[in-house]
Amino acid sequence: MASVESSSLRPAPAQAGSWLNNAKVRAVLYQILTVVIVVGGIWYLVSNTITNMSQRGMSAGFEFLGVSAGFNISFTLIPYREGDSYLRVFQVGLANTLLVAAIGILFATIMGLFMGLARLSNNWVIRNLARWYIEILRNTPLLLQIIAWYFGVFTLLPNPRMSLVWSDLFYLNNRGFYLPGPVPEPGFGLFLLVLAATVAGAVAYGIWARRLREQTGRILPVLWPVLGIVIVAPVLAFLLLGSPLGWNKPVLQGFNFRGGINVPPAFCALIIALSVYTSCFIAEIVRAGIESVSHGQTEAARALGVKPSRTMASIILPQALRVIIPPLISQYLNLTKNSSLAIAIGFPDLVSVWMNTSLNQSGRAIPIVAMTMGFYCVVSLFVSLVMNQYNRRVLLKER
Amino acid sequence: MNNLSPPQAAHLTDIPDTVKVFVPAAARAAPSSTLGATAWIRKNMFSSVPSALLTILGIWIVYTVLNGFIGWAWTNAVWEASSRRDCLDKVGNAGACWPGVVVWIPNLIYGLYPKDEVWRINLAFALLIVWLIPLWLPKVNSKVAIGLSMVLLFPLFASYMFMGGEKGAIWTALIAVGLTGFLWTVLTAVTETLWGVPVLRLVARKFGATTAEAESRIGQVVLLALFGVALFIVFELDFVEVRTRVWGGLFLTMVISGFGIAVSLPAGIVLALGRRSKMPVISLLCTTFIELFRSVPLITILFMFNTMLPLFLPAGVEVNQLLRAIVAVCLFASAYMAEIVRGGLQAIPRGQYEAASAMGLGFWQSTALIIMPQALKIMIPNIVGNFIGLFKDTTLVSIIGLLDLLSMARAVGQDTRWIGLFIEPFFFITVIYFVFCFAMSQYSMNLEKRLNTGHKR
Repeated sequence: MASVESSSLRPAPAQAGSWLNNAKVRAVLYQILTVVIVVGGIWYLVSNTITNMSQRGMSAGFEFLGVSAGFNISFTLIPYREGDSYLRVFQVGLANTLLVAAIGILFATIMGLFMGLARLSNNWVIRNLARWYIEILRNTPLLLQIIAWYFGVFTLLPNPRMSLVWSDLFYLNNRGFYLPGPVPEPGFGLFLLVLAATVAGAVAYGIWARRLREQTGRILPVLWPVLGIVIVAPVLAFLLLGSPLGWNKPVLQGFNFRGGINVPPAFCALIIALSVYTSCFIAEIVRAGIESVSHGQTEAARALGVKPSRTMASIILPQALRVIIPPLISQYLNLTKNSSLAIAIGFPDLVSVWMNTSLNQSGRAIPIVAMTMGFYCVVSLFVSLVMNQYNRRVLLKER
Repeated sequence: MNNLSPPQAAHLTDIPDTVKVFVPAAARAAPSSTLGATAWIRKNMFSSVPSALLTILGIWIVYTVLNGFIGWAWTNAVWEASSRRDCLDKVGNAGACWPGVVVWIPNLIYGLYPKDEVWRINLAFALLIVWLIPLWLPKVNSKVAIGLSMVLLFPLFASYMFMGGEKGAIWTALIAVGLTGFLWTVLTAVTETLWGVPVLRLVARKFGATTAEAESRIGQVVLLALFGVALFIVFELDFVEVRTRVWGGLFLTMVISGFGIAVSLPAGIVLALGRRSKMPVISLLCTTFIELFRSVPLITILFMFNTMLPLFLPAGVEVNQLLRAIVAVCLFASAYMAEIVRGGLQAIPRGQYEAASAMGLGFWQSTALIIMPQALKIMIPNIVGNFIGLFKDTTLVSIIGLLDLLSMARAVGQDTRWIGLFIEPFFFITVIYFVFCFAMSQYSMNLEKRLNTGHKR
């Protein structure tokens, strides 16, 4: 049948054309072609690299991690001595980067929230001040700001003898910022235990009050009892235990300060520049989030007799947060990535201490680059995992 | 009206004088407290006690900042001096020392580019502006083609103008392609303004083409002729080679961000289409590339290319540092651009794809003719935003030793005559960065507003 039909109507299409026009076959062909090109390209680069490395006597292994690094690091969060291994250097850099990111995120959030609310103010002067603060700072490069803070502010400060002093506890000079360091005394562990217990209790009370409200509609006061538990109980415990925390104050001895905590100028400059720069973006996110909740929501809540404070807490904020949180998290990620600019002012973060100093010292380009990029990839994948979970949770439940 | 009887008509007009008719009293003027500048000030600055306090605080901040700034930058500033020592002798640290910046302005803009050859940079940017003008002419219809030709072809021509030196056969052809794009843009802008027809079609009609097919065939011949003219011009050009090591300042910043945007736009489109592709291998490869480059900081990519590109390439192939930086920036920008394009593609409703399929358009046809034109329109503000980010990020190349605007500003303080001069040149380049970025962001916001009209109620 088929052969009769095809011969009578028109000549059968050439066999090659018919299977080439099949979408599935073509998809497979394209993919094979792509794989061949990509694998070929990578193989070309790898073979070049292997030849080049063997010519220069370089090695791609990780065995150098156990070798002593033999250079000093100006600022370390975790203990490090000159002569520790490269692995330790990597850990030091990692810890410093995470420290900068954590503190920067804290400050950036506070400043961003503040500026975002100022941007929404009814007051014309405040609104415009906030606007120009944001416009000027986010339209200039971050690296320029970091360098300006470091070379234009912190290294131009007076020497330790002429320090700027605040109530004999805090000193600011060209060696950095000095503040009293806490010294735990016997009994401090017990105090921490009490603190943890009160915080856990407060959280439990909050959850219980919320469940009660959802089940019975009875509204218990939450804010003041929680604050009371968290503040009063630890303070009492602290006093009862005989104030088990001493302060190690910075004291000027000769040309420099002894004691206390010294925050180096590079760290100060980096934190200030990063948090100020990121706060501009956070401010815009906060503003957009709050503006995204339509005014009808407020009006409806008021019409139902909901108090203004509860309207903000239970109606506006939950809806605004849905818009705010995803871009906010990606700003946090940006801040973490931007902390790598520390290298410009010599602060020993991961990139500076690992991808620059260690790489130049050991010459192990490939493992070092892979480890650095691996760290940032892991952080970013982890954050996007968390964000996907969050987005799934807050997704509008539509019919 | 005619059948209205006289008594009835009379009745209507016959109202006795004693009946009171309601006449509304004239409206009173609005209270003076709600009118004029005082009312506005009261409402926006002093509506409550906290608000009034905030206003006073704000005004105090503005006054302090402006007062200090004007005192430093204008009142106490030194405008004529031969060295930083002079400035310090005159005003100390109380005023700015502008002569150092003024002397360095050529270097801040062109880096160490030879003074005799600077005209080439100026000419190239003048050509760029000429290329841009048609985008604002109301009668020009081929704006998309002109814009694309500018982004994609201008770098070809400009890189020769900047670099000069020997040009082989392929290089010559590429430069000529760039020049052809320029000639076509100018001619099209002229013919569309005067006769409303793009130049190729106009010439084709002059030669007697009646059908669209004939028009496009003759158009191609005309384009080829234009290419011939361009080739002839390029053969005649003979520029002295200027090594990229001396490129610097604002010029270098523009070159790097320009290359970044020119490469990242097409690369981003390809990557985004690949990521959305139904073919698993292609989608996986594109997703890996995009996520890898988006998750690491630009500085690590710059370092990687700076140290590892010589390892990747066969022995003996030298890649100069500028090219390494440009490759790194392009890869980084492409990954970001891909996500922007993907966002734009996701905003196009499914119905558009289905309608295009129903009309019998294949994947490439529906993408090029139906989806991309709509998606690109939505993406423009984000693309501009990406470009602003790229422009700011080019400062990072100073870390790997290129002489961009930031490096040149720091170099001022290392000049023996202006030793230690830091704040003034930094202030100057901050203004440059701010003006560029702010202008672009305002432009993109305006564009967003204009493009949004169709969807906003």
